[in-house]
Amino acid sequence: MFFLGIESTAHTFGASIVDDLGKILTNVNSTYRPPTGVGIHPRKAAEHLNEVSSSVIEKALQGPVERFLPDAIGYSAGPGLGPCLRIGATISRALALYMDKALVPVHHGVAHLDLAMAAGHSHDPLAVLVSGGHTAIAVHLNRRWRVYGETEDITLGNLLDMFAREAKLPSPGGVAVESKAKEGRTLLSLPYTVKGNDVAYSGLLTAALRFLNNGHSLADICFSIQEVAFAMLAEAVERSLVQTRKKEVLIAGGVAANQRLREMIQMVAEDHGATFHPVPVQYSGDCGAQIACSGRLAFESGITIPVPESFVNPRWRLDEIDVPWIPRP
Amino acid sequence: MDSSTLDLHPLHRGAEADLFLSELPPWKAVVKRRVRKAYRHEELDAKIRKERTVRESSAIHDAKIAGARTPSILGLDLERYVIIMTFIDGMVARDAIDTMGNSRRLPLLEELGRQVGFLHSAGIVHGDLTTSNIILPDGGKPFIIDFGMATKSSEPEDRGTDLHLLQRSLIATHALEATSSFKRVAKGYREAAGEETTRSSLRKAAEIARRGRYFAIR
Repeated sequence: MFFLGIESTAHTFGASIVDDLGKILTNVNSTYRPPTGVGIHPRKAAEHLNEVSSSVIEKALQGPVERFLPDAIGYSAGPGLGPCLRIGATISRALALYMDKALVPVHHGVAHLDLAMAAGHSHDPLAVLVSGGHTAIAVHLNRRWRVYGETEDITLGNLLDMFAREAKLPSPGGVAVESKAKEGRTLLSLPYTVKGNDVAYSGLLTAALRFLNNGHSLADICFSIQEVAFAMLAEAVERSLVQTRKKEVLIAGGVAANQRLREMIQMVAEDHGATFHPVPVQYSGDCGAQIACSGRLAFESGITIPVPESFVNPRWRLDEIDVPWIPRP
Repeated sequence: MDSSTLDLHPLHRGAEADLFLSELPPWKAVVKRRVRKAYRHEELDAKIRKERTVRESSAIHDAKIAGARTPSILGLDLERYVIIMTFIDGMVARDAIDTMGNSRRLPLLEELGRQVGFLHSAGIVHGDLTTSNIILPDGGKPFIIDFGMATKSSEPEDRGTDLHLLQRSLIATHALEATSSFKRVAKGYREAAGEETTRSSLRKAAEIARRGRYFAIR
């Protein structure tokens, strides 16, 4: 059995084939990069996705000997940018109808976790999902992910991207901030906002931008943003870990590629006797493989959707979808 | 006071502090020591530990005056980030709540609401209200502990955060049915805090829950 997954929630168009054991056979992605100092414009991102879609899918279907013929197709149904979601959904519907195969709706956030769990060998973790769309701490209970803590305003990805944009650092912002932070030495005073297991980053962003406008060293600001913002999340993770007593800690999503954040979350996990399962860096960002991996699990649990009902949902919470395939054996 | 001379027996390891059992005649005492977090920058770490130690001791004191059931402060050792308080013997609500029948659980939730109502009427916000921070003495009424995130505030925003955290802990940890269990919390809360405070707190709590990512209705 071959399963095709199509990712199309924001800046990346991806297509991937997995086999019936979930082994990733192909994973092809193309990411829209806005000019330095500019954010992602949903329409421009959608135009990019549209342009690259056929060549990405074409490449993903190319097997070592002959073309893969998928038995079902998964598409990223949300959450994400409406115009981008509709590109991937439209293409997936067309493929499903043309090939007469089942269509499977996939939650982009759940998919981050499914791929990270498969690639990071995790079974029933406390999951930390950090990206442009999510900053959430979740555990699985009674068929669903339950959100234990999350951001009350912007995500970690937003924080890093928005700061990088104002500081005229190149896209992707998180990578630029991380590399600048390595030269920083002085910890600047930034607001540390933890409310129970929740965090809030907008005040920190405002304060960091003030330091930037006052001409402070960019390296020190980047260093301080990472130290304070990540420590807030690490504390929320630690609280959640003590409350849930999970034995595994997973970190997934684009910001999970950050080495300093991984290091902090690893320390929290090991300090409480839990094993640490970081997503491999090549699978941390948005990609077709996450949709293929999660879609296959959903398909095996009997989840499909008729084409006329296959809507997209730009706002779709992590805890609003049944995930009966977790915990994993 | 100097806590280094006390006889300490490990009691519990929390997220941010180690708890020890000790004797401070005539009291059985808990020694709560906020520990260094290796993941946190040293300056930031010291600042947070000190701030929370001070905050917790004064909040517990204020909460008691407000009529809430909390431990009593016996001493403070800021140099070592230590608070010494009376020991409350009982089960943590987190461990007890799932095996309770509704006939015990619902009155408990109502009493909990009442305690939180007392706190909020006195302008104290707990800041980390989960079932892990509630102790149930054998057959007695619940005690609220761990005031390290507490603030002095009369803002509906902060009161709403407390109620939101409690509600989420009931749903996420215990998979309790949200509406019926929270109704009982609200009933007790209303008795202690009055109609006006209750209405603004509950409205904010619902609003804060919707602030999480990707709620369809904002």
